[in-house]
Amino acid sequence: MGRSSLGGISITLVVGLVVLAAGCAADDRSPLIAEQRIGLPTGPNAAMYFTATGSGKADRLLGARSDVATSVEIHETTAGDDGTMGMQPLESVDLTADSPLVLEPGGLHLMLVGVDRLRIGEFVEVTLDWEDAGDMIVTAEVVAPGDVMEHEG
Amino acid sequence: MLVGCQQDVSSGDLQGLVVDPPQPKPSFVLTDTSGAPYDFAVETEGKLALLYFGYLNCPDICPVHLAQIAETLDRLPAVARETEVVFVSVDPARDSPQEIRDFLDRFDSRFVGLTGTLEELELAQAAAGVGVAVFTGEGDDYTVDHAAQVIAYAPDGLNHAVYPFGVLQSQWNNDLQVLADMGS
Repeated sequence: MGRSSLGGISITLVVGLVVLAAGCAADDRSPLIAEQRIGLPTGPNAAMYFTATGSGKADRLLGARSDVATSVEIHETTAGDDGTMGMQPLESVDLTADSPLVLEPGGLHLMLVGVDRLRIGEFVEVTLDWEDAGDMIVTAEVVAPGDVMEHEG
Repeated sequence: MLVGCQQDVSSGDLQGLVVDPPQPKPSFVLTDTSGAPYDFAVETEGKLALLYFGYLNCPDICPVHLAQIAETLDRLPAVARETEVVFVSVDPARDSPQEIRDFLDRFDSRFVGLTGTLEELELAQAAAGVGVAVFTGEGDDYTVDHAAQVIAYAPDGLNHAVYPFGVLQSQWNNDLQVLADMGS
């Protein structure tokens, strides 16, 4: 009887190890990118927005690049206390394991500096540089300036 | 929709940030994109005027405001005929009159673009009661902290509401009709 029970325990352990191994494989997955979009450039720069989800694993966005822009910077729009707003460049931005990183108008965005003339509906490749996941190419659609906002009624 | 039938609208019908008491329209003269002087109070008299200070390198806030206003005016042609949208570039070092014109034409060719000397622009911002733009950074790669709200003057000549960043299209649709009906 005792041996039988032990056998049962060891089987459970083996199954547990397999599950853990699968869990490790899942940890190697890159952040998931959704809702990626670029506002139609109306001047020398354009803004790109997206939502990144960590899938249980934290990472850090170090930068980005694209063939359609001279450079790509991480920017944060911040509000002053007198109704003004301004942009601050950031060295990097953290993605936590369990809450999405949202880049949206009035908050964080990737600024495509010296961007090419783009057309609405065009798809643009942008390479995101993650500290752990490395380079990740995402394809973002160019949308009308008024369509970059989410949660529109 | 009964909006078009309302005669006695009030600031209570507005969904923007209501200014109470309403503030008078500022007086300032700048230069439009054709090079002609533009007297804000004179040119917008009896009209709905939307005043916004921004700059062309701004990719995040400025285009959204202007695109939303353009979309609402497309939906409300009767309002659009009596509305003056005035975009003031606070970055004269980088934004030429022609560049301002090209920028605005991407939204609506009726939008008025203004520029001036730094001193003239600071006076205009102060007259409109907004925070004066601050330049941060070096060389050509500077950013501009600027007033993020659109200031709305109804045809009665008073500023009844302001629109900070984050206004929904539906709120513009409501408010531009209400504002156009105020004091007209």
